[in-house]
Amino acid sequence: MKSDYVVEMRGIGKRFGGIHALKGVDLELRPGEIMGIVGDNGAGKSTLMKILSGAYLADEGEIYVEGRKVHLHNPQDAYNLGIGMIYQDLALFNNLDVARNIFVGREYSRGPLGLMLDKKSMYKKAEELIQELRVDIKSPRLNVARMSGGQRQMVACARAIAFQSKILIMDEPTAALGVTEAGKLLSLIRNLKERGLSILLITQRIPDILAIADRVFVLKGGQRQAVLDVSQVTLDDVVTMIVRGKDPNGINAPSVEFQSFG
Amino acid sequence: MLRFDPSGLRKYTVIFVLLALVGLFSLTSPYFLTTRNITNIISQNTYFVIVAVGLSFVMIGGGIDLSVGYQMSLVSVVTAMLMVIYEQPVWLAIIAGLVLGTLLGLINGIIVTRIRIFPLIATLATSVIFQGISYMISQAKTYRNYPEAFLFITKSKVLGLPFDVFLTLLIVVLASFVYYQTIFGLRVMALGGNEEASRLAGINTRRLRVALYAICGFVVAIGTMVMISKSNTTHSSFGPGTEFIALTAAIVGGISFMGGEGNVPALVAGVFVLAVVGNGMQLAGWGIYPQYIVRGAILLGAVAFDEYQKNARRSRLAKS
Repeated sequence: MKSDYVVEMRGIGKRFGGIHALKGVDLELRPGEIMGIVGDNGAGKSTLMKILSGAYLADEGEIYVEGRKVHLHNPQDAYNLGIGMIYQDLALFNNLDVARNIFVGREYSRGPLGLMLDKKSMYKKAEELIQELRVDIKSPRLNVARMSGGQRQMVACARAIAFQSKILIMDEPTAALGVTEAGKLLSLIRNLKERGLSILLITQRIPDILAIADRVFVLKGGQRQAVLDVSQVTLDDVVTMIVRGKDPNGINAPSVEFQSFG
Repeated sequence: MLRFDPSGLRKYTVIFVLLALVGLFSLTSPYFLTTRNITNIISQNTYFVIVAVGLSFVMIGGGIDLSVGYQMSLVSVVTAMLMVIYEQPVWLAIIAGLVLGTLLGLINGIIVTRIRIFPLIATLATSVIFQGISYMISQAKTYRNYPEAFLFITKSKVLGLPFDVFLTLLIVVLASFVYYQTIFGLRVMALGGNEEASRLAGINTRRLRVALYAICGFVVAIGTMVMISKSNTTHSSFGPGTEFIALTAAIVGGISFMGGEGNVPALVAGVFVLAVVGNGMQLAGWGIYPQYIVRGAILLGAVAFDEYQKNARRSRLAKS
C-alpha cells in the first residue's frame, strides 16, 4: 500500500503508572513538511515523539512509516527506518569531540572484522556535514563541552542527518538559545526541509512554528485537538487551541491529568 | 590521538609527578636510582599494572569494581590447587583460572546492570562473597611449589625482557589500542560520558557494561597468574589490597571517578607513583606501615584534585 504520509501514528496510548499520558492519538506527517507539535506542559508532546523515536514503547496503537507497519522497540529500530530525534537535553557526550559525538553508535569501521574506528573518514565526513549545514564550528576535533547551546544543537543536527534520516524529530531546539542562535537554527531547519527531510518540531515558541512550519499539531491532556494549516491561522488561534482544546466552550475539554510530562 | 590541547596536558600531569618523585628520591638515597632497584620496582609492580588496566575498563565506562582483590584471591587459590593438589596440567589450570576470573566479572556485571544497585556497594558485597568462597575452597591453607612450567611466567625471558614485563607491556599496548583505535573503545568512553545518551545512540548499554566487568575479571585473572608465579605461593589472603592500589593508581592517573576519561600511559604512571613513593620511603628507612598512611593520603589527594578540576571546568563552562 502506497501511503500519502511518511509517518502515520494510529490510536497511540501510553500510561506511566496511573497517569494516562496519551489517549488514542493519531498523527499524520506528509513528506517534506515541517509539522509543529504544540501543547501545554504535560500535554504529551515529548512522550508522543519519544514513542516515534523508539525511546518509549507505546502501550497501544500502530505506527506506519512510508505506509509500512513498523514495530519500534528501541532507538536503533527507529534509526534503521530513517527516524532521528534530537532530544531536549541534547544527549551529547561532553567528554568527546564533535566527530565522535556525531558518529558514536554508528561508527565508520575499518580493519579486519570491522572492529576498528575509521577516524579519517569520520573526521572527513564530519567536516563535510559542518560545511553542508553552514554552521559555525571550526573543527570536528573540538570538544563539545565548551560549545555554546547553538553549536551543540548544530552538532545534534549533524548527528541526525549524518545517518540519512528521512524523518527528524526535534524537541524544543530553540528553547535554550538566544535570538541570533535561534534564528540560525530555524534557517538550518528550513535548510533541512529543502534537503527533503520531513520534520516534527516540538516547541513552546509558537512564532517559530508560524515562521517555518507547514502545519501545526495541537495536543492537550494527551489527546489530539487539531491539526491547523499554518497559512490559515494566527498566533491567537493556535494559543486558543492549546489552552481551550477543540471544544471552545470548554464543557467537554479534556483536563490535563498530570503536569510533568512535557 | 595525542593532538595538542592545552587542557589535554593535565592528562599527563602524573607523568611529570612521577619524574619529579624519581628525581627527589635519587637525591635522598644513593641506592634509589640503581639498575637493581629500578628493576626491582618494575618487577614487583607488573601485576599491579595489569590489574589497574583491567579495572580501567570498568572505571572509564563509569563503574567501579571493589572486588578485584578477592577475585584475585579466589582465582589464585583455584589455579594453585588445580596444579598442586589435583595435579592438573599447567595449561589447564591457567585456562581454568582465566575462565573463572571472567565469570566473576560477569557476575559483577550482571548484578550491577540487572539489580541496578550502586556498583560500589554491589562489588563490595560480591567481594565479601568471593572472600568466603576463597577461604572455603582453600581451607585457609597455603599452597606452594608450582610446576616449573608455571614459574615460566616470571622466570623466562622474551626479547631480553622478563616474560611478565613483556606480558604487561603487551597488555598496556593492547588496551591503549582498544581505547583509541576501536569502535568498542569509543563506546566505552561514550558510556562513561553519558549513559542515557549512549542508549539513545543505539548502544546496548547493559550488555556493554556487563562486557566491561567481564573484561576486567579476565585481565585481573592474568594479573593473578603473574602474582602467584612471582611468589610461588598462594593463600586466600593474597590479592586483597590490590583493588586499593589499582583504584588509587587509576585516579592518580587521571581516570575520573565519573567515567569517560582516562588514558593508559598515565594509568601506568599512576601505579609507579605509588610504587616509587613506597620504595623511596623504604630506602629512607621508614618501614612498611607508614606507607599505608601515605597511600591513603594520595588517594584522598587525587580524588580531591579530580573533583576540583571538574568544578573548575563546570564554572568555566557556566561563564562562557
